[in-house]
Amino acid sequence: MASLETEVLVIGGGSTGAGVVRDAAMRGLKTVLVERKDLAEGTTGRFHGLLHSGGRYAVKDPAAAKECIEENLILRRTAADCIEDTGGLFVSTPWDDPAFGDTFVEGCRATGVPAEEISVAEALQREPRLHPGISRAFTVPDASIDAWKLVWGCARSAQEHGAEILIYHRVVRLERTDGRVSGAVVRDELTGGELRIHADVVVNAAGAWAGQIAELAGCRVNVLPGKGIMIAMNHRLVNTVLNRCKMPADGDILVPIRTVSVIGTTDTRVADPDELEITEAEVQEMLDEGEKLVPGFREARALRAWAGARPLFAPEEVADTRDVSRSHALIDHRDRDGVEGFVTITGGKTTTFRLMAEVAVDAACEQLGVDRPCRTAEEPLPGSEGGEFYTLGSRVRAREPVPQLQGIICECELITRERLEEAMEWRHTPNLDDIRRTLRLGMGPCQGGFCIYRATGILHGVERLDHLAANESLLSFLQERWKGVHPILYGDQMRQARLDDWIFQGLLGVQRLPT
Amino acid sequence: MTYDTVVIGAGLAGLTAALRLVEEGRQVILVAKGVGSTHLAPATIDVLAVDGESPAEALSKLPPEHPYARLPVEVVAASMEWFKARVAGYRGGLHENFLLPTAVGALKPSAVVPESMAGGDLRGGGHFVFVGLGLKDFYPAYLAENLDQLADVSARGIELTLTHEGSLDLARRFEQADLREVITRQLSAQLEPDERVGFPAVLGLRQAAEVWRDLEQRLERPVFEVATLPPSLSGMRLYEAMSEALRKAGGRILIGPTVVAAETSNGRVEGVVVEQAARSTTLRARSFILATGGFASGGLQLDSRGRIRETVFDLPVAGAPDRPRFLPTYLEEQPLDRVGVAVDKQFRPTDADGKPSYENLYAAGAALAGAAPWREGSGNGLSVATGYAAATILEGAQ
Amino acid sequence: MTELVRDSLDHCVKCTICETFCPFSQVTPLFPGPKYVGPQAERYRGAGLSPDASVDYCSGCGICTQVCPQGVKIAEINSQARAQLWEDRGIPLRNQVIARPSVLGRLGTPVAPLANWALQNRAIRLLAHRLVGIHYKAPMPKFAGHTFQRWAKRHRSTVSRRKVVYFHGCGTNYYEPGVGEMVVAILEHNGFHVRIPPQDCCGLPLQSNGNFPAARKYVRRLIGKLAPYAHDGWPIVANSTSCGLMLKREAREILEVGDEDLEAVSAATHDICEFLLGLHERGELRTDFRSLPLTVPYHAPCQQRGHEIGKPALDLLALIPDLRVIELDADCCGIAGTYGLKKEKYAISMAVGERLFRDVYESGANVAACDSETCRWQIEHGTDVHAVHPVELLYRAYGLDAPVAVGAG
Repeated sequence: MASLETEVLVIGGGSTGAGVVRDAAMRGLKTVLVERKDLAEGTTGRFHGLLHSGGRYAVKDPAAAKECIEENLILRRTAADCIEDTGGLFVSTPWDDPAFGDTFVEGCRATGVPAEEISVAEALQREPRLHPGISRAFTVPDASIDAWKLVWGCARSAQEHGAEILIYHRVVRLERTDGRVSGAVVRDELTGGELRIHADVVVNAAGAWAGQIAELAGCRVNVLPGKGIMIAMNHRLVNTVLNRCKMPADGDILVPIRTVSVIGTTDTRVADPDELEITEAEVQEMLDEGEKLVPGFREARALRAWAGARPLFAPEEVADTRDVSRSHALIDHRDRDGVEGFVTITGGKTTTFRLMAEVAVDAACEQLGVDRPCRTAEEPLPGSEGGEFYTLGSRVRAREPVPQLQGIICECELITRERLEEAMEWRHTPNLDDIRRTLRLGMGPCQGGFCIYRATGILHGVERLDHLAANESLLSFLQERWKGVHPILYGDQMRQARLDDWIFQGLLGVQRLPT
Repeated sequence: MTYDTVVIGAGLAGLTAALRLVEEGRQVILVAKGVGSTHLAPATIDVLAVDGESPAEALSKLPPEHPYARLPVEVVAASMEWFKARVAGYRGGLHENFLLPTAVGALKPSAVVPESMAGGDLRGGGHFVFVGLGLKDFYPAYLAENLDQLADVSARGIELTLTHEGSLDLARRFEQADLREVITRQLSAQLEPDERVGFPAVLGLRQAAEVWRDLEQRLERPVFEVATLPPSLSGMRLYEAMSEALRKAGGRILIGPTVVAAETSNGRVEGVVVEQAARSTTLRARSFILATGGFASGGLQLDSRGRIRETVFDLPVAGAPDRPRFLPTYLEEQPLDRVGVAVDKQFRPTDADGKPSYENLYAAGAALAGAAPWREGSGNGLSVATGYAAATILEGAQ
Repeated sequence: MTELVRDSLDHCVKCTICETFCPFSQVTPLFPGPKYVGPQAERYRGAGLSPDASVDYCSGCGICTQVCPQGVKIAEINSQARAQLWEDRGIPLRNQVIARPSVLGRLGTPVAPLANWALQNRAIRLLAHRLVGIHYKAPMPKFAGHTFQRWAKRHRSTVSRRKVVYFHGCGTNYYEPGVGEMVVAILEHNGFHVRIPPQDCCGLPLQSNGNFPAARKYVRRLIGKLAPYAHDGWPIVANSTSCGLMLKREAREILEVGDEDLEAVSAATHDICEFLLGLHERGELRTDFRSLPLTVPYHAPCQQRGHEIGKPALDLLALIPDLRVIELDADCCGIAGTYGLKKEKYAISMAVGERLFRDVYESGANVAACDSETCRWQIEHGTDVHAVHPVELLYRAYGLDAPVAVGAG
């Protein structure tokens, strides 16, 4: 079995793992990250894209609120290119108790979240689609954040600092020597080959899967996967993050991110973070709640639905996952379980990923007996050095003044053939879903209806795939797309789906392709 | 103005029905919110995508709720002959399907096909070369590799370097001899003597027939087109041919206004209400043909609460499943697939008891319940056959 | 942007039907096409400054909206995006000037001989080309030297219980007063009392040049003049298809003017051919037409098709004995109001018109018919074939032709 040596092994390629690998590498530690699928394929890639101001937790979970606002301000400096500075509003709709606004303001003051009440008229002028019956509105520094850009930014930065990132590598077992965790055996999910990684310290950053990983070291970490569903609406119904001003509940937020608006979310405890079914009732609930924020919401077009599994850490059993703190949890297993060389970092939010990485790497350093300061609060991510926020129009602006239409492969997301080929060469993958996460390929209104045939043809050439592998790439993307689309098929998206059926089954006859 | 018949929908079903009636001397207006599916789908007239048996045989085995089952096979055959007599350059019939390559290199059985596509028939095997033109909608190497696996077929792809603005631009430029000359020069040296040459279906628009013939002559071998992503140039030619025939025969075509409602009394449709720039107007007629299509074109709508509606007459919709409407596997037949308007033997939409909703309202095409045309490969065939049949029956009734 | 218009982008399924019909993207890569700049780019607009200037190459002809089977208001989205673009960047002087036909008309009319000379003078046109950006070859109509309004003030219309208000537009007022006189004569011939209230520009050129605030001012003023009649149940008749469409729909959908007066005016407004055909369908149109042994190619302008009334001119002209009308199926003449006047767009405009010019030319006719004034000027510019409003043919067939100067050119 092939093997390699490292000081730090990070398990999990979500935002936390990516933050850890970058932080550790920046501190000069030799670091390897393993992820069973693609980076940000799990929970990080499946949230609504909110960069919390902390307002959401100001009343219920003050510790989480404080972390959020502190990290919010740091990320605005260090990850500007991943952030759109939309601002946020907390609004009291006719279904919400206006008195909660006072509690809210009080909570914000106590936690340091800047919140300011504005007039209803001003709120409606800012967001004309907002329910005209709102009674109060408060501004907060919410923003939206592109998690894929963020995670890949961290990964690239880590690589620049010498770290190694192994995606599609699943941990098969943790190796234990004399009561300490000394590394892991991982399996390459694409080739089937196994690899032994010797590490001085292993950081378990597997999020909702952290309990499963800890078990491999014989430790118990009580992570309760909390399912949250989200629906992306076809365009920017609003340009400011809209929150209901009440205690956290289902469907209480609408986040404008990139070209869409995302409504979320639910919170249901599930047994297995890999089994997240979206029910009709959940979809209907989101639409009903959406109507309360933006009247006419049901008539607007939904693009896609998905579910993510929150990694909620509970020191003991609880009934309702909403009652579990959104703060992060660091478990140094040397102290708690007498297992050396093993640290778990879980809980938390994408907003606080950097802080989580910092405390985890601090703990790893302590076990390694080194003392090196964290620099991630100061040093910007690659691409964010200029400090300029991302803006909605940037992809269109980049196509001006002379559009190269024949070169645009994904028309909804404005991806040129050049960029696509570049990404394919860089990602070196037969999996078009990886390319989707890299470039947002096929994420617009037609959900790949027009670009996925093109992308398959290009991938066939770039990756020199044989026809069966290319067919598989095409069919698996279609299946993956269907998974997200079928729960919300109604209205305009139903028309789109049927046109896409005509293209794939009628025109191309993909169902008759050899596999 | 009062018409004999108002046809709603500008897809192939509507065009067929309207032309058939105008030819019988009827005053017909075809009204549609926009241009129809002709511009999106290849112009092959697929009757049923069966391989190893004739479409005629397959038609006779369909379940009774299928719209084809409303028709004797002879009527379907007659509709194909009628169509071939009106749109130049089509070949085939119900005796055996052509087997055409799709743009991914799957096989598509089709009954009646444009002559510019017939050369791609794979039934007899042979040597095929597919030529890419730098078009983002066509990948010859991928296509060829899938076909090359078939017994008796050898296929390969060639990519020519051309600067252009996409398929519409290419189609226009193919109508000039110099592009054909350039392509012939680039290709000739690369071709083996017995190879047939396949291009993406962008060989001209208005002068497509000449473009295709000229290329065959220049390359001295069979040349054929392979349909690819919308816009469908072959479908646009079909629309041009049908709409021109309709106009020349005296039919009216009104594209743009939406038909929003109907005026009915005593079980009859008296008129349809059409939305114009500032007000609505009513088009009155003795009979009406609904050819607005299914979900893709907005003839049927599914709302966020799962309710399905026929959008012009609010007709009863048949075949709506109890939940779930969709299954998790994409390529499975979905419970919602065969939803539509049920019709009687006269192609009149019926209610749950099988009674016609209106005595002078007929329906044709993708609006009909019981078919899943994109899956079963019956799209244009169903449109021509039911459009033809509805018009014939209506004509007989008046 | 109105929700009505922006929300319609949700209906887009990217099917490309609009692209197959857009006359402009077919001839220039500078215009990326209706799907691209319409529902596609719109998803990227709305937060921050306009990201794309290429939307300015949309002419606003509206064909995309007509052919879209899904109900996307593509041209309207583009129009509003263009207004936002110029609001962000400032409207160029040229676009301010050419968008005010009534100002130009008031300046040019008293000095018509001089103004007409200047507009045909090559040196001056070259200077205007360079300094202002108006293409030196672009078709410019000739000032008539007197206004239709002046004629109207002196005109005593027949007394009748059947009444109609005439909205003549700027083209008739300053350049083609003869067309206005013919409209009045035809209506009176059919027993109508024609009222011609004082009126100014409808704001359409300002709208298509992205100056919405000014356009709103103009259209509101015009609505103010017409509304009392509309409320009293008078039909309003317009012979300029584009200006008529402004009252029927664009003021509401694009400029977002919404009030009762507009509603009443919209509902009362009829294109002249639509109105006359309506009379005919009710058996109220006089059909005492004389033979007119002519072959006339007819082009329905884009804005006429925007009325969604079919092509009533064809039905009317079919009533005239011995007149053979050839319906042309070219989509657009290319001028699109003021689009083709612009230095950077003139060549595009002529390329768009090429098919129409060829069809007109090949018809061998020496007179063509078309409902819109700017399109007629463009047809004459592109073909040297005289182009008239269909009412001129009706007028002659009714035998009403007194020796008035008709048409332009």
